[in-house]
Amino acid sequence: MRPLPANFIIGAALVAVVIGVAAVSLIWTPHDPADLDIRGKFGDPSAINWLGTDQLGRDVVSQLMAAARTSMAVALGAVMLGGSVGVGLGLLASAIGGWVEDSVMRLADLGFAFPALLFAIMLAAVFGPSLTNAVLAIAFINIPVFARVARAAANQIWTREYVLAARAAGMSKLAITRDHILPNIAAAVIVQATIEFAVAILAEAALSYLGLGAQPPASSWGRMLSEAQTLMYLAPELAVYPGLCIVIAVLGFGLLGDGLRDITDPRLARAR
Amino acid sequence: MFEMNDMTVRFAIGEALRGASLRVAPGDRIGIVGESGSGKSMLAACLMGMVPDAATLSGTLTIDGTDMTQASEAAWQAIRARRAAMIFQEPMTALNPLRRVGDTVAEPMRVHLGMRKAQARDRVATLFDEVGIPDPAARLRMFPHELSGGQRQRVLIALALACDPELLIADEPTTALDANVALKITDLLVHLSRSRNMALVFISHDLAAVARATTEIAVMYGGDIVERGPTADVLADPVHPYSQGLLAARPDLRAFPRDADGSRRRLPTIPGTVPPLHAMARGCRFSGRCPVERNACASVKPAPVGPRQATCHALSRGVA
Repeated sequence: MRPLPANFIIGAALVAVVIGVAAVSLIWTPHDPADLDIRGKFGDPSAINWLGTDQLGRDVVSQLMAAARTSMAVALGAVMLGGSVGVGLGLLASAIGGWVEDSVMRLADLGFAFPALLFAIMLAAVFGPSLTNAVLAIAFINIPVFARVARAAANQIWTREYVLAARAAGMSKLAITRDHILPNIAAAVIVQATIEFAVAILAEAALSYLGLGAQPPASSWGRMLSEAQTLMYLAPELAVYPGLCIVIAVLGFGLLGDGLRDITDPRLARAR
Repeated sequence: MFEMNDMTVRFAIGEALRGASLRVAPGDRIGIVGESGSGKSMLAACLMGMVPDAATLSGTLTIDGTDMTQASEAAWQAIRARRAAMIFQEPMTALNPLRRVGDTVAEPMRVHLGMRKAQARDRVATLFDEVGIPDPAARLRMFPHELSGGQRQRVLIALALACDPELLIADEPTTALDANVALKITDLLVHLSRSRNMALVFISHDLAAVARATTEIAVMYGGDIVERGPTADVLADPVHPYSQGLLAARPDLRAFPRDADGSRRRLPTIPGTVPPLHAMARGCRFSGRCPVERNACASVKPAPVGPRQATCHALSRGVA
């Protein structure tokens, strides 16, 4: 067996850390992340508060852990939702073709014409700032991406001989899509989903930074960043920690996605 | 009974099939031969209702008297499973690599015969046995990559037989297989046709396989059926210049075939290649490559003449 590409290994390790931390935070954090202790504000790292405390005396580690959970939940929800709608549309476009395919793809182009984050900000602004709306907004900007990937991959599969054989055996387009197209585009979709996961983490952080995502008392890296921004001269480390977390999570999923693509695409593997 | 009358398939760049007529009755075994691009596969696509959307059709196709020319995709889906089935040239790519072969074969039974899972699996095993796959119970759980080319082609035959069709179209079923396996697959198709009283349309450019498998033959060139008749007669005594050229162009298996004057014999060939669809002559499509061509050939479409319904101006002149 071929050795796994380095980007896959590093990405998988980073992702494992982030997901692991998020999972642990479900049952245990060192302190309650929302617990205030005004007298103990701007505390230095200690045995009790590993990375110190913030301007309200909240434990930084606990907040970062809880924020990882928020981040993962939003990204997962957004990618799953946007992915299923997008893949569904892409498969539909590919199966029916003609004007249906054209209109779906032109709509996707329209989606691409807007800067994705700006679009999410607009949606969150219109429907009100909340985590649910952030999920919906990020899901929405994911739809055209998945629709394109799914259609392009599905169009390739439709020309395969086994699809011809299935048609010759009297299978309907719906059955062929379910049994032959979907399993064969799964690899491409999963790769795209991993990369979109990174984008979604970034989008969630950005929305929360602008106050359009997680609302207090829910923790979020983006919100921690925006709160720490005003204290840059007083306690710069408070901005560094959530920033680093975002970098680790985004880099992890980005590298994992690249690695998965390298593994599933034999042409790239040979070029390495 | 499948009856195709004066079927023409027209694309933007030209006609892929020109007024083809074919009658297939239960138990018939008909061979279709011709070079690549001669319209063999388009003829098969017409019988299956699988002509690409970009084409316009004229002519009629009836199945047991029911006109299918305007039939909907849903009506064709029922026909494809229950009445007409097809197998393809390339058994390596005609099976979904991610599905167990048993599931692929069971699918049409579940959709069109309303079978339950266990019932369908039993029938797949029976079919595997019928098409000569040893140890069917184990094989139906395998993935395509675990089977040899010959085994895969047998799986595809089983898939085609899933709903007991009356007509099986085999589109170059042996081209991708080695000679020994090809022979066995050819014999299997003949055996199935006989035992099930199922019509077989055998498309191939392997003349030996066609001779072995079929009782009647149609020679195609450039979208025309240029000659037809009993297989043995056509192969022994072709009348159309194209059929003659095709038969002459078979290699002689003797080590050093020599002509009467003692020189090494060269393999005769038909000069030139099949022109692309948009460059085909309006008249006889063999013009430009034909040894007996005259001026009028390229512009006037020849009418079928004689018992072989050969479409050749030279033959019409001879007969007249």
